[in-house]
Amino acid sequence: MTDPSNLGEFEHVVLLAVLRLGDEAYAVAIRDEIEERTGRRASRGSVYVTLDRLETKGYLKSRFGDPTAVRGGRAKRYYALRPRAVAALQESRRALLQMWRGVDAVLERAR
Amino acid sequence: MTRLPRGVERLLAWTVPLDEQEPIAGDLLEEHALRLRDGGCAATARAWAATWWSAVQIAASFTWERARRDRTLPPIADELPSRPALRDVLAHDVAFGVRMLRRQPGFAAVAIAVLAFGLGATTAMFSIVDAVLWRPLPFPHADRVVSLAEQRPRENRWFGPIAPADFFDWRQASRSVSAMAAYMTPPSGAFNLTGVGEPDRVNALEVSPAFLTVLGLAPAVGRDFRPDEETFGRHRLALLSDALWRRRFGADPAIAGRTVDVDGHPYEIAGVLPARFWWPTRPDIVVPLALDDHDRTLRGAHFLEAVARLADGVSIERAREEFQVISARLSQQYPAENRGHAANVRPLRDALVGDVRPALIVLLGAVGFVLLIACANVATLLLARATTRRKEMSIRRAVGASRLRIVQQLMTESLVIAVLGAAAGLVVASAALALARGVLPAQFTGLPGIGTVGLDARVLTATFGFSIATGLVFGIVPALASSDSRVAAAMGEENRGSSGGLRARRCRAALMIVELALSLVLLAGAALLLVSFDRLINVPPGFRPAQLAVAQIALPGARYGEHARAVAFFDALFERLRAAPGVQRAAASTSLPLDGPDSTLDLVIEHRRTQSGDGPMRAHPRLVSTDYFATLGIPLVRGRVFTEHDNESSGQVAIINASAARRYWPDADPIGRRISLGAEDDWREIVGVVGDTRHEGLDADAEPAAYLPQHQLFSDLGASFERTMTLMIRSSNDAPANATIIRSAVSSVDPQLPAGIVRTMEEVIGDSIAPRRLNFILLSAFALVALVLACAGLYGVMSYAVAQRTREIGVRMALGASGWQVLGMMFGQAGRITAAGIGAGVAAALALTRSMSSLLFGVSAADPLIYAAVSVLLAAVALVAAVVPASRATRIDPLAALRDY
Repeated sequence: MTDPSNLGEFEHVVLLAVLRLGDEAYAVAIRDEIEERTGRRASRGSVYVTLDRLETKGYLKSRFGDPTAVRGGRAKRYYALRPRAVAALQESRRALLQMWRGVDAVLERAR
Repeated sequence: MTRLPRGVERLLAWTVPLDEQEPIAGDLLEEHALRLRDGGCAATARAWAATWWSAVQIAASFTWERARRDRTLPPIADELPSRPALRDVLAHDVAFGVRMLRRQPGFAAVAIAVLAFGLGATTAMFSIVDAVLWRPLPFPHADRVVSLAEQRPRENRWFGPIAPADFFDWRQASRSVSAMAAYMTPPSGAFNLTGVGEPDRVNALEVSPAFLTVLGLAPAVGRDFRPDEETFGRHRLALLSDALWRRRFGADPAIAGRTVDVDGHPYEIAGVLPARFWWPTRPDIVVPLALDDHDRTLRGAHFLEAVARLADGVSIERAREEFQVISARLSQQYPAENRGHAANVRPLRDALVGDVRPALIVLLGAVGFVLLIACANVATLLLARATTRRKEMSIRRAVGASRLRIVQQLMTESLVIAVLGAAAGLVVASAALALARGVLPAQFTGLPGIGTVGLDARVLTATFGFSIATGLVFGIVPALASSDSRVAAAMGEENRGSSGGLRARRCRAALMIVELALSLVLLAGAALLLVSFDRLINVPPGFRPAQLAVAQIALPGARYGEHARAVAFFDALFERLRAAPGVQRAAASTSLPLDGPDSTLDLVIEHRRTQSGDGPMRAHPRLVSTDYFATLGIPLVRGRVFTEHDNESSGQVAIINASAARRYWPDADPIGRRISLGAEDDWREIVGVVGDTRHEGLDADAEPAAYLPQHQLFSDLGASFERTMTLMIRSSNDAPANATIIRSAVSSVDPQLPAGIVRTMEEVIGDSIAPRRLNFILLSAFALVALVLACAGLYGVMSYAVAQRTREIGVRMALGASGWQVLGMMFGQAGRITAAGIGAGVAAALALTRSMSSLLFGVSAADPLIYAAVSVLLAAVALVAAVVPASRATRIDPLAALRDY
């Protein structure tokens, strides 16, 4: 069972970034992607912690890339969505869109 | 090749989960390398700063995340509640505790039963002590009511009755009390009420008009007495108790003004006492205490008691000072009567409760000890159980439960046991109270609050408090001991079956020592009371109590006002009684030995002046019939006893007891001397000296007494004195036959006279020592329970020790230890615990039994023989409890022990 309410806003954003980056989704790239798209500079720590958490919760899987010299022989950790993350994103999107339908005018007036 | 700063790597190693460390370090290094590409000092410095900043952020994030949720448990939701609400934890722990108990019904039953007894007994005792000693008396502002008494140090009386003249002088002079009233129970204790339906005998109380004012009460119907109604002649008024008003008068609201017949005199009903009115003697009729002109001036006869209400803003200390001043002045003014006398002021409760207080406190303490022993017992049970649950605790700790959390869980389980024990204890308590109501001696039924003792909200609250305290007391040691198991060691130890941890073993031994010590204190207390009681019942009373039957006869003043008529009644009665089958002798006296205090009068000896150094000379006046000494079996020491010829027409005579002879004629023969009691110039010649009898109690030394023949008029204590007599017969019949003989003899002489209750003299003596008997029975019962609990505890500890040491004993036996050596080893363990318990117990008992000294008789609170005896008893019982487990140890099969463990 995926419960969209379990997905925090930042978690949502991180999952979408992983989706967008495809095979290139590792922490530095994910952070850059989020900044590029949202204009928001997430803290390194929160990105790592959120990735860790999403993996523990079973939304993400990870694999280690080949070690490179520039990284001092350390491997990159690439993330990819598990099916339940895809389902959770779809559910979340559907729910949000449903909620957004027809509120633009209201929002406009409230401003 | 660039590298991350060393500190950064170390920081990450501390704070970041192992599997994240490599990719994160790689990312940081990649970025670090990018920053360094620009070259130059400033760029290098910036790169280092930025990397450090990133590392700190990462470290902080992971640290925060770890703190935010319990990392050791697999997270099941994003926002794991950091701490469940206390209520949920409690509910969980309670449910868990109940489940644990249901899985071990034997353990649960034993623990709850032990606690039920401890808490039940404590609750029952507490409810009695609370009602008697701590609750306010049932009067408004009861703390302002004081009791007055006259202190006569030379007669060893500290709170004695008051002489009428002293009372009136005190009342007139005092300013520190707003109202003051004397009271007295009439000599017969009751009045004959006639004129409304069946004749009735009702408890009576004579009081000064201000009595109700002092108590802060007012009649519910009608009016109170007026000040002038204590004048003799204007005093024929009565206030009825609420109960009597309802029973005999159908709660008639217009009762005031009606007339009833009281002891043959018409009395006008002034009103009805409020339903809440309470007094120890439970009077049904209250009349004004009217003293005639002669009695009002008495200073040598002490028979009044008094109460007073402190004036506003006056402390009891100030009142005490004022009364001291007043009585000191009277001592100077009337040295012959009042030398050394003083007024004593104390709270009314102290006067009403009297010497029952130390007994109650001792019993409450004793029952508290029983509760502590029960706690120690349950604690040893819990410790044993905790050892079997070590694996469970180890797993809990391994998966991350904190020690605090485990202690919390275990304490909750203990509290569940305690509360269940308290619930069962309430059943025990109500049964105990029902039993107590049945067996309370008469001396206890007059205690304040005793009629309302019960399990009310206040007692229930206290019980709940006791149970919580109990749960904490017996739960804390096992909880701390078992939560401390070092994980790996404990999990390993379980399999090896070793002796269960030095610490837990020491705890058990310490608890046992405490238990045995407390038991010894109770045993010593019980033994002291037992020996006191034994000494007391072996005090020779000075007469032969066997085969004596007694009954009180109160002749109504209206028909027996003349001395001759009263004498004629008794002569006729004695004649009938002597003719009855089985009756050897019959007699009567104004004072029955061991049936409560009797009056004292001044004693004047002819031709002797009172020396200033002498104490006041007093004697108990006792009007007796001719055959009194022979009937009671009081030996004649010198001279002669009364005969038929000691009558109105012959010379006035008296017989004194040995105490009077010793005190007033230490070096001379009293026979032939003349004395006067109370009134002046009422001279009587001493014709004999008889042996002392115990009158105020077997524990009270005999006081000087003067016996006067019934046939010679003695009016100093008022005419009613000679009309209230105790009839006694010596007969070989059984008690019911004696009762029938007395009743039929009384009604054949005067059909209108109600027959009093017929008792045997043994019953009278039994009643006089009933409070002591109750104390010793209760304390013995507590001690017995303590002994049984302590034995069961020791048995449990020893059985457990054998079970735990099976492998060790097996090894020893395999290596050649004999059964006797094993037995000796196990007994050695039990013996060391017992010896320590006895040592601690003797020390505690020596300190604590001092507080019991007022309850003891003829034995010292530190009697070495008693301590030796109870120590031997406890040791013997403890070793018996150790025999079964120890002999089980000798039967261990070494092969089986080594194979199975």
